[in-house]
Amino acid sequence: MSENPYQTYDARILEVKDLTSREKLFTLRFLDPEVEAKFDFKPGQFVIVDIRGFGEFPISICSSPTRKGYFQLCIRKVGRMTKFVHKMNEGDVVGIRGPYGNGFPMEKMEGSNLILVAGGLGMAPLRSVLWYAIDTGKYENVWLLYGTKAYEDILFRDEIIHLLKHGEAMNCSVKLAYEVESPSCIYLEQGFSDRVCKGVVTDLFRGEEFDVNNTYALICGPPVMYKFVIRELLDRKLSPGRIYMTLERRMRCGVGKCGHCVVGTSVSMKYICQDGPVFTYWDALSTRGLI
Amino acid sequence: MRYIKLPSENFGKFFKSLGEWGTLYAPVKKGDIYSFQEVHDPAEIALDYTRTMLPPKKFFFRPKEAILRLKNGRWEEEIEAEPTVLFGLHSCDIHGLKILDKVYLNEPADPYYKSRREKTLIIGISCMPDEYCFCKSLGTHFAMEGFDLFLHELPDGWLVRIGSVRGHEMAWENSELFEEVTDEDLANFKEFEEKRAKAFQKELPQEGLADMLDLAYNSPVWKKYAEVCLACGNCNMVCPTCRCYEVCDSWMDAYSSVRERRYDSCFMENHGLVAGGHNFRPTRLDRFRHRYYCKSYFDPTAGYNCVGCGRCDEFCPAKIEHVKVLEEVRGSLQ
Repeated sequence: MSENPYQTYDARILEVKDLTSREKLFTLRFLDPEVEAKFDFKPGQFVIVDIRGFGEFPISICSSPTRKGYFQLCIRKVGRMTKFVHKMNEGDVVGIRGPYGNGFPMEKMEGSNLILVAGGLGMAPLRSVLWYAIDTGKYENVWLLYGTKAYEDILFRDEIIHLLKHGEAMNCSVKLAYEVESPSCIYLEQGFSDRVCKGVVTDLFRGEEFDVNNTYALICGPPVMYKFVIRELLDRKLSPGRIYMTLERRMRCGVGKCGHCVVGTSVSMKYICQDGPVFTYWDALSTRGLI
Repeated sequence: MRYIKLPSENFGKFFKSLGEWGTLYAPVKKGDIYSFQEVHDPAEIALDYTRTMLPPKKFFFRPKEAILRLKNGRWEEEIEAEPTVLFGLHSCDIHGLKILDKVYLNEPADPYYKSRREKTLIIGISCMPDEYCFCKSLGTHFAMEGFDLFLHELPDGWLVRIGSVRGHEMAWENSELFEEVTDEDLANFKEFEEKRAKAFQKELPQEGLADMLDLAYNSPVWKKYAEVCLACGNCNMVCPTCRCYEVCDSWMDAYSSVRERRYDSCFMENHGLVAGGHNFRPTRLDRFRHRYYCKSYFDPTAGYNCVGCGRCDEFCPAKIEHVKVLEEVRGSLQ
């Protein structure tokens, strides 16, 4: 392999699936078997996607490392680069480098309960944790609290509905909050009255009790969400060290050089790409500007 | 450290000999501005220069450079590094390179920076501070490492400190040009350093600086200066330790493309922008404060991200003074 950290490796798009009108799920695999064999990642890590001649962008891996032979990226069409990717088809080749970042401390959390709190696109990195936890079976109970705008915006809708129905058998319980009413949502709410409601993601905490000494919370969502979710968790006396969140910045290099993801002040500066993107709430308390 | 003396009359010969190690760059005066330029003759250099506009980082981390070229669907790396001798770096700039080293040589090392760094010899030179310098208060006014040779001015020549194996080799190959250091030279060296220490007009008190600044996050002083600041990013360009870069792909023709990186500035609005249009530093105040916090960050292994060279003050069109801002912010706590 090249020693140049900016060199990317060819990966073929095996499958493209529409998740919503804005998000597509890309399933990829490296062309070079040697690169493929070496590629391993942790839930919460990200890669840099390289569209040769157009540019690069960071994106978190949304598949679980327990499922070998491929990895998946959930890409929302928001800018020039992602618009371009959305035009790509099965068989097309993109460049990939990574994985980068620290990822969630999955081994440390073994034997505990996990509360995954996802808002919108925040579902993507947490899906990696979700399936990792289900596949390995090393965690007590897994809760997924997922807040979404409308029924049409639910990412991985099939999986979410499958888990609503059959999650209990996998120690996984899913709760869903939506903001915009629609017949499909009402239908869901009728079927799972205790787990689906109209509201925001923090409404899903209502009535939820958990053992604070044996639980970790993992959060990912839009910037505005963190404050409210963390408040709910702190109200229930969960230690800030047990609250993990994964953050977003405009990472250009991914390896701690380009300076775009630097946050903090004179006493504490962090590179989101290398020190994160997963941080605890303690980190947020000691590093200004983190959330 | 080994100390030898280069008598004034041998300076020319010594300088010429440096050319054998690589392309020779030294400070040259152009108009009112000094800059590092390729030189062939010792008469071209400005030995008593104050500071160059662009710091020596430009030799290792280029203002704009191609990092990858797309040929036949594959990126080919473009590493150009030729043997180079940088003559006449001031102590603050040598410290500045050490801070860049910490970032760019940290694993995974940046191959472009690393290859140029390995092929470059650094010759330091002593200086007298002007009204902008505050390196003494940051401890960067004297370099103990990070150079191959360091020349200290004496009345009749130069006291040379040898800082590396290559420095030894350079002195060894020209041993006929050097003399042993005498007691008189040492007395002169001491006198020069004492005179220099007294010449600093500006001081940045360090005591509790990092914490004081952090506590003064909401100080009105930030706002006051953010309103004066033009957000031009000049201070980022001329700073020896600013190293943010932006990457851009451009097509050369239908089959080949080039991936370039260029200096970026945290004063630009899009620096804190992420996908979907959210900006983590939306106001000029946020960006102004960020730069000051970044420069004042203290790393136990490398010190502050500021070396006190005074470039940001001298080249600021709004005449904002780094030390004054920090002192006022700290003062606003009381």
